[in-house]
Amino acid sequence: MLDKPKTTNQTKTMLDTPVAQRMPREIAPGVFWIGDCLAQRHKGKIYHGYNAAYLVAGETASCLVETGHPKDFPVIERHMNELFARGVPPLKYLFITHQETPHSGGLGRVLKTFPDVTLCGDISDYHLAFPQYEHRMRWMKEGDEIDLGGRSLMAVEPVIRDLRTTWWGFDTRERVLFPGDGFAYSHYHEDGHCGLVAEEATSLDLPDVSAVFADLALFWTKFADMNVYCDRLDQLLERLGVKTIGPTHGLPITDVKLTVPKVQEGLKYAALVPESGTNEVAPLTGAATPAA
Amino acid sequence: MSELLARAAPEAHAAAHSAGGIAALAEGKLYALQNPFALDGRVSSYPGSARGYSVSNCYLLKQDDAALLIDTGFGGDEPAIRAQIESLIAPGLPLSLFPLRLNEFMSINNVETFAGHFNIETCYTSNVDAALWFDFGAKAEGRDILASMKVTAVTRADTIELGKNGRAIDVMQAPIRLIATRWLYDRATRTLFTSDMFSHDWRDTERGPWIVTETDNDSTSLRDVRSFMLNTRYWWLEGAPTDSIRRGIGEIFDKHDIETIAPGYGCILHGRKVVARHYQMLDDILKACDKSVMVSRYVTRDEER
Repeated sequence: MLDKPKTTNQTKTMLDTPVAQRMPREIAPGVFWIGDCLAQRHKGKIYHGYNAAYLVAGETASCLVETGHPKDFPVIERHMNELFARGVPPLKYLFITHQETPHSGGLGRVLKTFPDVTLCGDISDYHLAFPQYEHRMRWMKEGDEIDLGGRSLMAVEPVIRDLRTTWWGFDTRERVLFPGDGFAYSHYHEDGHCGLVAEEATSLDLPDVSAVFADLALFWTKFADMNVYCDRLDQLLERLGVKTIGPTHGLPITDVKLTVPKVQEGLKYAALVPESGTNEVAPLTGAATPAA
Repeated sequence: MSELLARAAPEAHAAAHSAGGIAALAEGKLYALQNPFALDGRVSSYPGSARGYSVSNCYLLKQDDAALLIDTGFGGDEPAIRAQIESLIAPGLPLSLFPLRLNEFMSINNVETFAGHFNIETCYTSNVDAALWFDFGAKAEGRDILASMKVTAVTRADTIELGKNGRAIDVMQAPIRLIATRWLYDRATRTLFTSDMFSHDWRDTERGPWIVTETDNDSTSLRDVRSFMLNTRYWWLEGAPTDSIRRGIGEIFDKHDIETIAPGYGCILHGRKVVARHYQMLDDILKACDKSVMVSRYVTRDEER
């Protein structure tokens, strides 16, 4: 069951309340969306993308999926502690989809702060970045599962990826897919989208925001035939029986049949828009500042 | 023998037979800080099946009154890289940083530590808001250090200057990339810094050699380079419209007089003939992958070719 987006004060609008203060949000039973937005300049505008992390709570253990952006560890830690205070089982596992720092940048602090945590997934590069924690890193291959008690987190095929070492995560009980850079698109802060799931952000222009992310982060999607990747994505969603999608950068998807086709159209449209490059120098007026 | 090679040869060859260390590519002007790592299936920038060793390459560009560090290396190498820098510049010399990729540990892992240790003049990035992208918690006061660090945003086609004499370094958006990446060209040493491209030469032992020169028997083949690319960051090239990528790379090699290709990983390619050969291999691979020749298809994660 999806819980409601919260505000710190009922008189405030969504726009007035930083997304970091509106999390955690439960997107499926025992799956909590935490973290913050990241403002990016592009084509003279400010776009917001999520840098989400998710806490998956089993009966005996919890697993953090992604660490959030390097700037966000204080927010992630606060959100997790709030959940632990509510009785969520202790953090024992960290699963990171891949090594890019907006996904993995907090791992050193997670492992330091939570000494019982084991890092799981494709653990390439982490021993070079944080050799002091190498003994707490565990390889996963496709189909391997992390037992959380009553549910597990499984490493599954990463259909849309950048680094070759990517795995996607899958919660076997509630059928929640964690696709990392898959389903990556920005949202409109000014329209109050921060903290909303895809089905709530009705004014979102998916082709536009998908094209932004393709420029910023998924250069290759402008060169490959995205139809075959979308077909493969459909097969994966069908095979796993996915009910909810928790992307790192896009809005969580709670109605797969309704929303996934729209996202795929956005991805295909973005592939046809000429590549215009990565970040540019522009004033960051009205952008979200890193939360403390 | 070129001017650069003549100046660099003794040091370069010394480094080439050591386990990493400092290679003087142009004495007094350009140094490679090379730190080896094992290829055991745990390095994302190499094929999963690659075995042997490679190096991470940071580069120090030096003037009498300023220095520039290109990429900051992995956190595990931080003490070694810090010592390498300290052996090359005087204490207090203004040092600028230029991480070529904002999203990868090898580029940014030590920004925080170096910002707290050296006299950092500025950090060049493609994103003016990047300071807290480097906050990995290495130091208790790291966030404050980063917040106070001067950040200078560069565009996709820019020129920065090092020192009062204005040593010019051209900045360009990488014409082929997986993630947001900048390439640099140092006019003084005719060196192109290519980040995660041209990183296809690795070795059987950690002793290297880590520089390929015109006097070496460079056995790297087109097949080797093609396999490297398709099995690492460029699995999507087959069937892609590669003509625009080829044009972008070609324009850089046409515009700049390149004597050394300095990648972020693996062997440095030194000498005009070596540069020409590796550029040509890349161009041939891209041409052979073009959609006019091949069909784009879904490539699974662990497929190696």
